[in-house]
Amino acid sequence: MAIATKIIQQSDATKQGEQQGESVRELTGSEIICEALMHEGVTLMYGYPGGAIMPFYDALTSYPTLHHVLVRHEQAAAHAADGYARATGKAGVCVATSGPGATNLVTGLATAFMDSTPVVAITGQVASQFIGRDAFQETDIIGVTQPITKHNFLVRNVAELAEAIHEAFRIARSGRPGPVLIDVPKDVQFARTTYRASDYVTSDEYLRSIAAQTSRPSEYILKEAAQLIAQAKQPLIMAGHGVVLSNAYGELKAFAEKTSIPVITTLLGLSALSDAHPLHIGMPGMHGPAHANHAIGAADLIIGVGLRFDDRVTGNVSKFATNAQIIHIDIDASEMHKVKVATVPIVADAKVALAALNEVVAPADHSAWLGEIRSWQAAAEGRSQQIKRDDTIPSPIDILSTIRDVTKGEAIVVSDVGQHQMWTARFYEWTRPNSHITSGGLGTMGFALPAAMGVKMGVPDAPVWVVAGDGGIQMNIQELATLRQEGLNIKIAIMNNGYLGMVRQWQQFFHSRNYSETPITGPDHVKLAEAYGLVGIRVTKSEEVEAAVKRAMEIAGPVVVEFIIESEANVYPMVAPGTGITTMIEETAEGSTHNG
Amino acid sequence: MANPTSVATRAGTTNAPEGTDRLHILVILVEDRPGAIDRVVGALRRRRANTQSLTMSQTGKPNMVRVTALVKDAEVVIDQVIEQLRKIVDVRQVVNATDKQAVLRELALITVDIKSAGLHAIIEVAHQFGASVADVTADSVILEITSDAQTLEKLIEALQAFGIREIARSGCVALVAGGE
Repeated sequence: MAIATKIIQQSDATKQGEQQGESVRELTGSEIICEALMHEGVTLMYGYPGGAIMPFYDALTSYPTLHHVLVRHEQAAAHAADGYARATGKAGVCVATSGPGATNLVTGLATAFMDSTPVVAITGQVASQFIGRDAFQETDIIGVTQPITKHNFLVRNVAELAEAIHEAFRIARSGRPGPVLIDVPKDVQFARTTYRASDYVTSDEYLRSIAAQTSRPSEYILKEAAQLIAQAKQPLIMAGHGVVLSNAYGELKAFAEKTSIPVITTLLGLSALSDAHPLHIGMPGMHGPAHANHAIGAADLIIGVGLRFDDRVTGNVSKFATNAQIIHIDIDASEMHKVKVATVPIVADAKVALAALNEVVAPADHSAWLGEIRSWQAAAEGRSQQIKRDDTIPSPIDILSTIRDVTKGEAIVVSDVGQHQMWTARFYEWTRPNSHITSGGLGTMGFALPAAMGVKMGVPDAPVWVVAGDGGIQMNIQELATLRQEGLNIKIAIMNNGYLGMVRQWQQFFHSRNYSETPITGPDHVKLAEAYGLVGIRVTKSEEVEAAVKRAMEIAGPVVVEFIIESEANVYPMVAPGTGITTMIEETAEGSTHNG
Repeated sequence: MANPTSVATRAGTTNAPEGTDRLHILVILVEDRPGAIDRVVGALRRRRANTQSLTMSQTGKPNMVRVTALVKDAEVVIDQVIEQLRKIVDVRQVVNATDKQAVLRELALITVDIKSAGLHAIIEVAHQFGASVADVTADSVILEITSDAQTLEKLIEALQAFGIREIARSGCVALVAGGE
């Protein structure tokens, strides 16, 4: 009898040991979310608690390896997760409660969706029995976010929860990345079920498994492309965000060098190839330099890699690249022929496609063509240098080149949206891969400051600069409190011209200088920084720029540097909306002029 | 739903040559998960597909819904729409059945006034098109027809003279011959 009891006890102990070894435990839904996040390798998330997500926040304190950053507005949580994703290539995670918490994420999710970045949003939802009854803080966030997410889940049962989390990460990160939202009713967060991590395929495992299956484009299509490339006299490569997302820097450089084809980088493709590379010729489109747009107009072949021929790139589509055949490489089949009909469409990952293409193309020399483009560049720069400018106040170009020089090109620059964004894109010399982060597709003012938090926490060793306007910085200014709380060493340059500058510029050019609602006042940015416990510096003279940037870098913490710039400076050249990109408004000594 | 005779104007992108639009039959198999049909309909709306009819119903497979969409558009636009639909996570398959040997059927119920011409005259016309009587009241008859859309249109035209009170059409369903 005694022996029998002992044996039973032993077998129970063994069974328990086995269970612990396999980590099969009964957990609450909230704990399962935390465990699944950890299984996905998540260490960081941005969020804001509220009624319908409280069980999750209750569980969170038991998982000290999950660092939760309390933002001051849910929109900032989404942008910070987005910034983290852009800087690291991993999924960024944000958390919000139901109703207003969830709807505050919307702008951030739309931003991530337009720029194809992997963000996973977890929202609390009212308890299942209240869904559809207009309960307190109930919003149909699945319906609201349907057109701005790659996918979304309403978790109806705790048994579906773990798979929903892991599937969300797999969807967000695979193929063309994008944001995924998981809506978890409060009762599901409380409900219990067993969880064993090894039952689920993580996004890392999934990406590895599909990488093995990713075949190169067919030999037939590669041959077609190679033939077009061999025949082209004036070819151009246009590199977009896809090159950055697929980490194809080396492949792009090798392909361009072997074929000696000049490279244009789009706004989100900036830093895909170093600006210092002899084949790099700049950014296309509405605010691209004249020579880049003229090159597109003169090109007989465009090899578009990981770009979607956005209207800010093409201008009037019927006048875009009229002499060119098009090889279009994109991982998303629905991008093919969407804007421009491609002569050779290649649906593939940019890295895989460029490597495969590089094997089949013949070395070529296009130095005469490059020389022609450079001569256009020299002519435009010569015209620009003849214009006399007020050199006593800080110029945007000077501010940007100073930041670059002081940080030795090692900084990651996160720009907001407007004139300063275009100046940053154009006049900062991008040499560090993936060093330019901005909201391209959606053009979201208020993006830069919160996104920079994600960038800095994802790449802590890099100097991180925010460049924003005096309008946009107000849109998420509350995050200065989060910077202070997290001790994030981010430097914030505000270009203050007292206007919503880009809108004012459009009003000047296209609405007879009717400056309707564009003059804007702001707070005293130095005092504001101090109020948040940060250091504030104001720069009003051009000779103070360098000392201010240096001082900001010497201070071991967040610094706000406000630059008072010319109030009616414009971004030149500019392609008027609806016109072809080779027709630009250029700056002249007398003002601006339309120039073909 | 868009006016059948109009083709949606597009924002200068994917400029399909004028007059190249025609009716396409898209058969879409969707996993039956919350919001899945929403996503299909939403994608058609967002991408401005000129949708003429839309039906959904269970399939022989568990948890799968079959959506049949008739979209009037040019080839290049349809290919775009199909690729957009294929990106939806819940969508398992999209087939453009237009150029395949497919059987198309639509059901219509038509209430016709019998006061002016009498029941027999109406039934005579109905039989010519293979329609049958589903219900009769003192002053009206409900005709039922299952046919391709063209026959259906012709019947409706023929019945106009008697006075049509109401029409309920199911929208089109399609099967590719020899499929699966």
